[in-house]
Amino acid sequence: MASLNGGIIFSNLNMSEKKIKNIFVKGPITPAFIADSIAKHNSKTAIGGHSIFMGQVRKDEIDGKFVAAIAYTAYEELALEKMHQIREEIFEQYPLSCMHIYHSLGTVKTGEICLFVFTSSAHRKPAIAACSEIVDRLKAELPIWGKEIFEDETHQWKENI
Amino acid sequence: MEIEIISFGQITEFINNQKIEVDGIADTNAFKQYLENRFPALKDIKYKLALNKNIVQQNTEITNRATIAIMPPFSGG
Repeated sequence: MASLNGGIIFSNLNMSEKKIKNIFVKGPITPAFIADSIAKHNSKTAIGGHSIFMGQVRKDEIDGKFVAAIAYTAYEELALEKMHQIREEIFEQYPLSCMHIYHSLGTVKTGEICLFVFTSSAHRKPAIAACSEIVDRLKAELPIWGKEIFEDETHQWKENI
Repeated sequence: MEIEIISFGQITEFINNQKIEVDGIADTNAFKQYLENRFPALKDIKYKLALNKNIVQQNTEITNRATIAIMPPFSGG
């Protein structure tokens, strides 16, 4: 499980082995973490535009019941492998300076942030396009599952449409 | 032959993680058949397999001590 400073879990100094970055955060992604992540870029002065997507747990109403939270689980090793591959492909496709991706695991209540994608480039367009494509691909390709928990503690499994 | 089964999402509600000892399951198509016979609820859901952490795109040979994940449609984000 990642700490909130976005540490690299399989960190190694041997450049012949790929570095797989962790994206998973236990529980919600806090506004303070997001603010801190933005602040860390003020030394990277080649950047001229950032694009940020944040996914928030919505209080959906289904058959008269309201969603209270989503509990996320993942096939973590496979998800991180796949994310690594997407990350490499996006970097090849767009001239980005930075790309940061965080996804919650465990319980995230309605109104809290469960996904944070942050891309930066010299000019805005690649950052915006890459951010949007990462979100689309992450939802379609990463083995992550959301269980919608209702206020009465019943549940249903979320489906991405 | 030993196969380790791990399940995810809604599939965890009727298939527990387990090791099985089976003979005559040579490939992932045969494994799907085995699963759907043993867990008929699986027939009603879309699912994918990952064999030793690789998502199965086409019928693939299974070797001893394989780990096979059974995954319903993804719903991250």
